[in-house]
Amino acid sequence: MTNTESFENVVLELRRGVIVLAVLSQLSDEQYGYSLQKLLSDQGLEVDQGTLYPLLRRLEAQGLLESVWKLEEARPRRYYVISAEGKKLLPKLKKEWAAIVSVMNKMLA
Amino acid sequence: MKLINRYVTEVGKRLPLVKGRKDIENELRSTLEDMLEDRAQKSDKPADEAMEVDLLKEYGSPQKVAETYNPTPYLIGPRMFPKFIIILKIVIAAVTLGMTIVMAIQVVTLSPMTGMELLKVIGEGLLNIVSTSIAAFGNIALVFALIERFAPASEFKLDEDEKWDPTSLMKEPEPEDIKAWEQILAIVFTFIVISIFNFNPQIIGLNYMTGNEWKVIPILSEAFFRWLPLMNIAWVAEILLNGMLLRAGKWQISSRLFSIAIKVFQIVIGYFLLTGPAIITVTAESLKAIEGFDAEAAQILGTMAQQGTQGIIALVMFRIAIDIIKSVVKMFRQKTSM
Repeated sequence: MTNTESFENVVLELRRGVIVLAVLSQLSDEQYGYSLQKLLSDQGLEVDQGTLYPLLRRLEAQGLLESVWKLEEARPRRYYVISAEGKKLLPKLKKEWAAIVSVMNKMLA
Repeated sequence: MKLINRYVTEVGKRLPLVKGRKDIENELRSTLEDMLEDRAQKSDKPADEAMEVDLLKEYGSPQKVAETYNPTPYLIGPRMFPKFIIILKIVIAAVTLGMTIVMAIQVVTLSPMTGMELLKVIGEGLLNIVSTSIAAFGNIALVFALIERFAPASEFKLDEDEKWDPTSLMKEPEPEDIKAWEQILAIVFTFIVISIFNFNPQIIGLNYMTGNEWKVIPILSEAFFRWLPLMNIAWVAEILLNGMLLRAGKWQISSRLFSIAIKVFQIVIGYFLLTGPAIITVTAESLKAIEGFDAEAAQILGTMAQQGTQGIIALVMFRIAIDIIKSVVKMFRQKTSM
């Protein structure tokens, strides 16, 4: 494995860990897949569709999201929104995240 | 939009047969249409085929997209894989050893033979080892794949995760502790013994040549096979005992008692074998019946074979009796240390 590959793999692992939190945090208002991807991208987090869509399905299967099909501009779109269970989990995840950031900031200072 | 529709169909074909497949297709179609519309707006011209081609190229091959939805990418998952390798090694080693012993018995009983005959026996033996190992590999992989499919390790906590306690590293290994591989090997070998005596007893035969023809006399007599059901009970009980030991990970009072019961039963079988009719067919008379066999030699060999067999049975019974005494002593020590 080359150095570039190792670097890319580590970055991928780091990002994979934060995507769930990012997605849950952005779905207090309902979004469809593509609009969510743009919303994340506009804030600086690029997420590949191949990662985002299966993740949305998984989070829905876990009961953290809910989804509904809506017909808009003659196009059916699947809208996702955070569920009651997801809302309970989100503050705990935010706290965990803050702790991780604080520890890592100290460690890397 | 024609290309997008075809692309979605291609992805759909490659999706696992799960609930919500149609949903995935619809969502993918609506996303691609949104993306295409976005591109058209940005470039200030209506969407065309070239734009569709670019978009789909960036989105990736239908195979790659379908793979991202695949929930079971493993045949045998990473948590079960080390166990798979351990069992595979033990079984392949047991099969190789067992088949090599069978091959060696054939070489000894068929001797003397020409170089070509020897090569044939060895060649067939090696082929047997290879084909049986491949079959064993297939069967074990199938069992593990079924476990992975219907009871994946990722969905349950393995017992050892919960029970494992670092303080277990501090104590000296106890004599009551058993080694799992010994029990697994014992089970595999007992299976081999059961299958030979019950299904392939012709392996145990005396081969000799008269003229240009090989003849085989079965060594074990009808009287032996009369006791086979009792021996089967003892072997199955041994397998159960080894299974118990594997589960518990050490000797317990119950397994000691069970083991002693099996050994007593084996001594009873030994007594029947010893006092009943001859269990092997090699007698002075049967040897004399062989064409060209010297009468005096037949008398000596026949008597040796009969008395030798009885001697071996008596020795084995003696050994089992000593084992029983050892087990009783260990059981009492274990009881007092508890």
